Amino acid sequence: MPERCLSRCVSHGLARLVTVAICWAAWSGPLAQSGEPLLRQIIDTQVQAAWQTAKLKSAPKADDATFLRRVYLDLVGTIPPQDETRAFLDDPDSLKRDKLIARLLDDPRFATNQATLWDLTLFSRQPPNPDVTRNRTLFREWLTAKFAKNEPLDRWVRALLLAEEDGSELFYAAYNNRPEDLTESFSRIFLGTQLQCARCHDHPYTDLKQQDFYGMAGFFVRLVVLDQGSTGSGEKQVKKYKIGEKGSGDVLFAGNMKDAKPGKKGEPVKPAFLRGGPLTEPPLPAGYKEPDIKTGTKSLPKPEFSRKEKLAEWATATANPYFARAAVNRVWGQFMGRGIVHPVDDFEADSKPALPGLLDALTQQFVAHQFDLKWFIGELVRSETYQLASTGPAKEALPKLYERARLRPLSAEEIIASLKTVSGDATQKTDGTTGEYFIRYFGEPTNGQGEFQGRLGEHLFLNNSENVRAFLRRKKGNLADTILTSTDPWDRRVDRMFLAVLTRLPSSAERDKFTAYLQSDPKPEPLVEEALWVLVNLSEFRFNH
Amino acid sequence: MSTSTCRPHEHLSRRALLKGALATTAGATVANWGGLFNTAAVAAEAKKHGKRCILLWMNGGASQIDTFDMKPGRSTAGPFREIKTKLPGYHICEYLPKLAQQVDKLGIIRSMRTQSPDHPDGIYHMHTCYKQSERVPHAELGAMIAKYLGQVDADLPSFVRMGPTGNAGSGYLGPSYEPFSIERGGKLPYFTSPYLPAANEARRNDLLRFMEAEHQKENGAGAYESHRVAKERAWRLLRAKELFDTTKDWPQHESLYGATEFGRSCFLARKLVEAGVPFVEVGQDNYDSHADNFVCHKANMQVLDPAWAGLLIDLERTGQLQDTLVVWMGEVGRTPTINNRAGRDHFIRGWTIVLAGGGVKGGVVYGSTDADGREVAENPVSEGDLFATIYTALGVNPRAKHFAGTRPIWATPEGAKPIKELLS
Repeated sequence: MPERCLSRCVSHGLARLVTVAICWAAWSGPLAQSGEPLLRQIIDTQVQAAWQTAKLKSAPKADDATFLRRVYLDLVGTIPPQDETRAFLDDPDSLKRDKLIARLLDDPRFATNQATLWDLTLFSRQPPNPDVTRNRTLFREWLTAKFAKNEPLDRWVRALLLAEEDGSELFYAAYNNRPEDLTESFSRIFLGTQLQCARCHDHPYTDLKQQDFYGMAGFFVRLVVLDQGSTGSGEKQVKKYKIGEKGSGDVLFAGNMKDAKPGKKGEPVKPAFLRGGPLTEPPLPAGYKEPDIKTGTKSLPKPEFSRKEKLAEWATATANPYFARAAVNRVWGQFMGRGIVHPVDDFEADSKPALPGLLDALTQQFVAHQFDLKWFIGELVRSETYQLASTGPAKEALPKLYERARLRPLSAEEIIASLKTVSGDATQKTDGTTGEYFIRYFGEPTNGQGEFQGRLGEHLFLNNSENVRAFLRRKKGNLADTILTSTDPWDRRVDRMFLAVLTRLPSSAERDKFTAYLQSDPKPEPLVEEALWVLVNLSEFRFNH
Repeated sequence: MSTSTCRPHEHLSRRALLKGALATTAGATVANWGGLFNTAAVAAEAKKHGKRCILLWMNGGASQIDTFDMKPGRSTAGPFREIKTKLPGYHICEYLPKLAQQVDKLGIIRSMRTQSPDHPDGIYHMHTCYKQSERVPHAELGAMIAKYLGQVDADLPSFVRMGPTGNAGSGYLGPSYEPFSIERGGKLPYFTSPYLPAANEARRNDLLRFMEAEHQKENGAGAYESHRVAKERAWRLLRAKELFDTTKDWPQHESLYGATEFGRSCFLARKLVEAGVPFVEVGQDNYDSHADNFVCHKANMQVLDPAWAGLLIDLERTGQLQDTLVVWMGEVGRTPTINNRAGRDHFIRGWTIVLAGGGVKGGVVYGSTDADGREVAENPVSEGDLFATIYTALGVNPRAKHFAGTRPIWATPEGAKPIKELLS
């Protein structure tokens, strides 16, 4: 069955490729004369061509309320406050979406949100070395500063791979003495290539050999993590590291893991760029002696020849065949749900993407714009494709040809931030324990194929925990309080509750139901809290839709 | 997508559930909770079709030589004596006297040869049958059974875990198959007590249902459905939570299982599988006897013996034994060599795991170790073979295929074979 499925997909893919190429040719003629098309137009043209080929009917354009909530969450990591929602909905300006996007891209939360996303990409919910990576404050601050000044993606990744700036060291530090694991993560995240198969045996479905894996590992094998002590204690403890590099040492390759025997050490392998030939390396100076590294060694002299520098240079070069493609595909996936290559970090497995011309165009444009991430994201969210509705009877959360908007579960961080926005009480504390609960119950909501699954623990937490309740129950100045102290008629107050939580006005049936509910007992306080609880527990709230 | 083996819950029709609900309306025990809509029906269906599994997890790793693979007269023997069992010629430890009378129900594997010698990797490996170092998010046994034998409509969770057992996670199967973890003896975890009075709880839940029904009119996506289903499951679980309370029925069972927390957990496990929970894992602690192995093991066995034997007797008495597989294992065995602290260390070259009940032949001793217990002498069994045996006994395809990203993963690794001699 999977084999059959595969061949079907491949033939579809080919057919699509041909038609897209034809459409592309037909399209690029007339527009090219009237100036360069914007990336958002390229996206829409190509996606719409794919719908035609597949005879798909697309969803309508998302209404203002849906768009506002979606783009707010995607760009700044929270739902909007209700007064902004009301203002946006009432604004007659035909350019209001565009203006909102411009404003959010310049919001400081755009930088923190991007830093959170990339931090999770690099470390995942289950970081490789929890002791080292538990508190990543310094690293996140370093990343946030990069996004705040919109440093081009290739530049900050180069800085990450050089690990010489204060705060940049943690990616390497997490893989102390584990060059093989680091190779896997680096290749997956920045090259979109999963090498882990080739760690133990030649890749079963591609040309990747074990030698390719160990060739890449050779770039990392000389890294040394140097402990710089820590500041603070308990939850606030931040550990600091420096990354040193030795001048000698090679990774050992012992052949197929199946035939591994205890004591069999293997042959040294020289570094080689993935499908890019071996690294040219000068011989070690005669009589070279490796500096002594002991516990407490704080720094190492820079080696005469740095493999790390060569890797950073190669990986982020414009000519690198993987880097820009992997990056645009990953960011596309962030906003569109499904990568053009999907999963976003597995180019080897999905070698026949549905919209190959689009991936090419995104990559070319991204490189032509000097890896400007903010520009790129701005173009994505300005496209008609991004601004489609997600509604309809279809079961699938991530439509293959983007004919509807995707459904994405909110992250634990987005849920906390959104609950804070709902409550409107900036003093509402989320201490370490609360944050941990949210991450435990909302952190990893998908199965191995990225499909959302509701979990029992999530709902027990939502239903019965005071940690969630604290955002909803009456407290001076919060949403429940303002609703209760308001003298407006109840239906108006229902409108406010909907705007605050769901970023939309209620339907008339919903308004009637809630208005009746809130007046069903002489004591309104419990009713208001319960009604707010209902709104934050809806599947509509759980997803960015 | 996963393979499409036929799952019991697919046999469980709405009509069967409704019938079951009608049949239980008279059940007085649940009156305060407005009736357990599904529990009785699910239990009845599970009894007809469903296999279940109880895993007794010996946390730290129990000693094979001091239990089921004794080496009398050898330097590795230790001080414990042998006693006769129901099986002529097969002897076990003197501190397992009640179990000796149940050996006709046991399938004893004395030839486990495994690969992960320490606790974290052993716990992972013996819960998933895959090496932890592969760093693929494998799914643990309970999650797999929850997926294939669980019932979406059940009030109770499909995977319940009690006490010290370690945890490998539901991995690629996803969070729907995570365990509901409770404390030893059945105490429920955080967030299982509503902070609202029942009436408020009921009215707010109705309001939520109204909203979800409105939303569903325009939104068909499976992700929304999954959210709604999990919400309903959380509510149903609370309605059914008195099943976890053994205050009333424990006194009559105490003498059978032994008056210990572990005994009580085993009794609760029996109750839960009877109510249709397909997988329950119960942990017993303190087996990691690097020092004073014999003191530890004597004390542990005095708790284990009545609890395990009592569980088998009770399952048989309630007509559930033929459908309930009881697995006894930990992450490692213990060294034949006794160290200078009278301890035994971790051992993976030849150790013992015991199966009983559903799908397994009783009174079978499979495999053996050499005279001192240092190596497997015949029929080595790997983690994959063990899991293939367990899955086969439970009617789950051991080669069920799943995906982590684009990578295919099977329920057991290539080459794993069920032990035919143990399967009934």
